[in-house]
Amino acid sequence: MSTAPIELDQPDVADADPLEAAERPWTTIVWNDPVNLMSYVSYVFQTYFGYPRTKAEKLMMDVHQRGKAAVSSGSREEMERDVAAMHGYGLWATLQHD
Amino acid sequence: MSFTFRAGPNRTVQGNLEAVEAQLLAYLFGQLLDLLGPAEDTSNADPLAIELGLADLGTGLEDMAPPEDPAVARLFPNAYRDDDEASAEFRRYTESDLRSGKRSRAQCALESLPEDKGGRFDLDQEQAQCWLGTLNDLRLVLGSRFNLTDDGQDPGAGLEQGDPLLAYVPAYHYLGYLQETLLEALPR
Repeated sequence: MSTAPIELDQPDVADADPLEAAERPWTTIVWNDPVNLMSYVSYVFQTYFGYPRTKAEKLMMDVHQRGKAAVSSGSREEMERDVAAMHGYGLWATLQHD
Repeated sequence: MSFTFRAGPNRTVQGNLEAVEAQLLAYLFGQLLDLLGPAEDTSNADPLAIELGLADLGTGLEDMAPPEDPAVARLFPNAYRDDDEASAEFRRYTESDLRSGKRSRAQCALESLPEDKGGRFDLDQEQAQCWLGTLNDLRLVLGSRFNLTDDGQDPGAGLEQGDPLLAYVPAYHYLGYLQETLLEALPR
């Protein structure tokens, strides 16, 4: 027995549930700067985020070569905490809503 | 064999400085402390407000603009690229603690220096972290003074002959060497 497939209306993004929008993650971005040592940036990613060396090096190279990297995501409050920590280490970081 | 920093037993770091290096670092750490300003006088503030980090609430958001000195502004950058109001709010809640953290690390580094004559010294894990952060903060401040914008840019390139800032160019390279060497000596 087969039935004809039901066509669903795709919701318009503008009508999206505002609660859902609020749960979209925020992201911490680390930006390249001419002073910070590559070894130091990698060290911070390993130490603060607990990333293994390979992941920390990859993120550091993204910062170095592409100008920036997304290093963590979560709630706005969590990202503000991460950005403050990055500033404590002397990295230049911002948070943004995805 | 000569060394500047090397791993020591029990996750410590062993340091070794010439007299002139110890004197230079004492001077530079002191300069950073001057730049960061004195510890805030909270003697008249509500202790609970201090506890919650709200001692300076009541200042308008317009007082939470980035620091005017670009070198200090680099130490406390905006947290939001395109939202000055959110950046000001973030600054209101975080800058004071960030500043005192940097201040206490610089103070710790200064106090752990061997005396003017230099020599061998040991850093425990906390002191090593103080050195790491302080060396980095110093390089950020100097980088701002040199107007460094691009990777690989020569710090002295834009300076006129006779500019007093030129004297800090070797110091900037030396601090980078110290930080790199310290990183290699840290326990992983």
